[in-house]
Amino acid sequence: MIDRLRLLGRALERGVSPRTLRNLRRELRQSALAKVGIVIVLFMVAMAAFAPLFAPHDPTQQNLGESQNPPLGFSTQETEEVSVQENGSVVIENGTPKTEERTVYQNASLAHPLGTDANGRDILSRVVYGARTSMLVGILGTLLAAVVGVTVGLTAGYYGGRVDDALMRGADIMLAFPSLVLAIALVGVWGTAAKRIPDPIVTSGLSETMRPMVGWETGMPESIVIPGTVVIVVALVNWVWFARVARGEALSLRQEEYVKAARALGASDRYIIARHVLPNAITPIIVLGTIQVAAIILLESALSFLGFSGTSLSWGFDIALGRQYQSTSWWIAAMPGLAIVLTVVGLNLLGDWLRDALDPDIGGEGGV
Amino acid sequence: MSLARFLLKRTLQGLFVIWGVVTVVFGLRFISPGDPANVLLPPDVSEGTRQQVVAELGLDKPLYVQYVDYIAGLLTGDMGMSLVTRTDASGRILGKLPATLELAVAATVVAVVIAVPLGVVSATRRHQPADYGATVFSLAGISTPNFWLGIMLIIVLAVQLNLFPTSRRPVGIDDAFAHLVAFQFGLAWSELTTWLWHVTLPAITLGTYFTALITRLTRSGMLEELGQGYVRAARAKGLPETLVRYKHALRNTLIPIITVVGLQLGTLIGGAVITEAVFNWPGLGTLIINGIQARDWPVVQGSIIVIGVGFVVLNILVDALYAYVNPQVTYD
Repeated sequence: MIDRLRLLGRALERGVSPRTLRNLRRELRQSALAKVGIVIVLFMVAMAAFAPLFAPHDPTQQNLGESQNPPLGFSTQETEEVSVQENGSVVIENGTPKTEERTVYQNASLAHPLGTDANGRDILSRVVYGARTSMLVGILGTLLAAVVGVTVGLTAGYYGGRVDDALMRGADIMLAFPSLVLAIALVGVWGTAAKRIPDPIVTSGLSETMRPMVGWETGMPESIVIPGTVVIVVALVNWVWFARVARGEALSLRQEEYVKAARALGASDRYIIARHVLPNAITPIIVLGTIQVAAIILLESALSFLGFSGTSLSWGFDIALGRQYQSTSWWIAAMPGLAIVLTVVGLNLLGDWLRDALDPDIGGEGGV
Repeated sequence: MSLARFLLKRTLQGLFVIWGVVTVVFGLRFISPGDPANVLLPPDVSEGTRQQVVAELGLDKPLYVQYVDYIAGLLTGDMGMSLVTRTDASGRILGKLPATLELAVAATVVAVVIAVPLGVVSATRRHQPADYGATVFSLAGISTPNFWLGIMLIIVLAVQLNLFPTSRRPVGIDDAFAHLVAFQFGLAWSELTTWLWHVTLPAITLGTYFTALITRLTRSGMLEELGQGYVRAARAKGLPETLVRYKHALRNTLIPIITVVGLQLGTLIGGAVITEAVFNWPGLGTLIINGIQARDWPVVQGSIIVIGVGFVVLNILVDALYAYVNPQVTYD
């Protein structure tokens, strides 16, 4: 696996030619949407990486006194009828319980700009930490899917014949399962094991020094949860897209003169695939990878929403919690969803930009 | 190759894929921890009863015998016994199928009815406000998780404005149809309207991604076709612009769209699973999710197989349709 990753890295190095860079820059200058996409994605990645420096509160800190506070600009003031009680019993007046009007405030505060959830936890902080889970699963899942899919696809396309038939029939079978259904079944079977690693921003003391500077309390969660099973499952249900694209590229590249020349010179198949086929097939794979990060983030949020999540700091998980309060506190479900939409829009814009700049031939919409 | 031979070949490939699906699904149970007999029996049961139940379920036989038995059962429509309700699994699955099918069809109707005109308008009024609106809508549409969209629709249209019910499916379109053929028109009409009232939000929820996708495809396809020589020729010979757009350009645009939509049917069914969860819609998705939580493997396996078979059959139909609308297609 490590070996294959190294091959991929080397291919990436070789794949970006000066011409490609020129195209990238030209497309970027011409397209405002591409800039928006890059800004969104960079912001989300930074937020995910440095979550303890972006979140105003500990996302797990409960405060029942501040439960269901609305976001800024949505303070409400309602009156409700309550029965008057004296010495613990209801006061009866003219045969009916005496009532009085009481004002109920739902106050927004600067301390919680996006409001609080049912347990009084700060939604903004939870959205910041949720970015971590989404980005981790999105990027790790895509890398894993790419390594498996590209290896299978290049092998199938390069050798052709029976190897190709067998691998591609296998891919057909995979495609007959809706990815969400297969993912649910696999997570249901395997459970949702997760691994905790220490958060370098917190353990290095960086958050302890920086947070007091803006007046925020310290004591953030000390570990990052990597939902391992979810990463493996999303890769398992998505590798087949990479395999199809890589196979298509390899099928045409194996006819190229330089591949034939290398073979005539006695280069091994492994060497030819790694040094000649992969670098020339890398462009559509990168474009697909960007779209796949978006697709996997959506898949992860769906899994978490349905309760198959390795961590409780996930956008989908919070939407499921917020759904229980849909008739009283819309913001609990709304805010994490907006974060998903923003992230996926950014990734799609980034993908469009890369596609237009790197590979004018791919043409509009792919099957992803 | 003739059309008939092409379809025969596709059918054989489809059967192979279905066999693969069945094999993978059969294997699912064996990578899962936990013995099916434990789901079925109370923990304090005697070893003798346990052995008896294991034998009844056929779990004591060698793996390949179980595999052959399972496939033989499937061929006769037997998917095993639900471990939870202890009834026929295939009966439960078929009972839930209409709810999922009607939801998927309603979503597809919503998508096609909105997306194709929107894509055409977007392409023919390029770089005008309508085009920008359609582009922003389609970008947002492919980027929005449908379960979240469903909850937002519930909050705004059902909870706040009280226009639609928040969830559930009190009647199915199949009930309305049954009363229609029994000439009970009043009953059929009231059931149909109740059904429409309940299906609207789930259909929008499930259909939005497809609406966005088909809008994008129609727009880019129309732009490409409108730049072709035959369009210029049609205009030059004085054909009315509406005829040029809708009879010539749109027709050619729709051909590749059929293929992509066919490939995306899996996404539609996956989306239906989660849409059902949001709206308490009693279909296959709800059955699968509850089945996994209760470790009711026969029901989960059967449902996934039904979905896989549906996907394969629909893809063959899409191929046939594709061959029908596009006389230039070569069958290989």
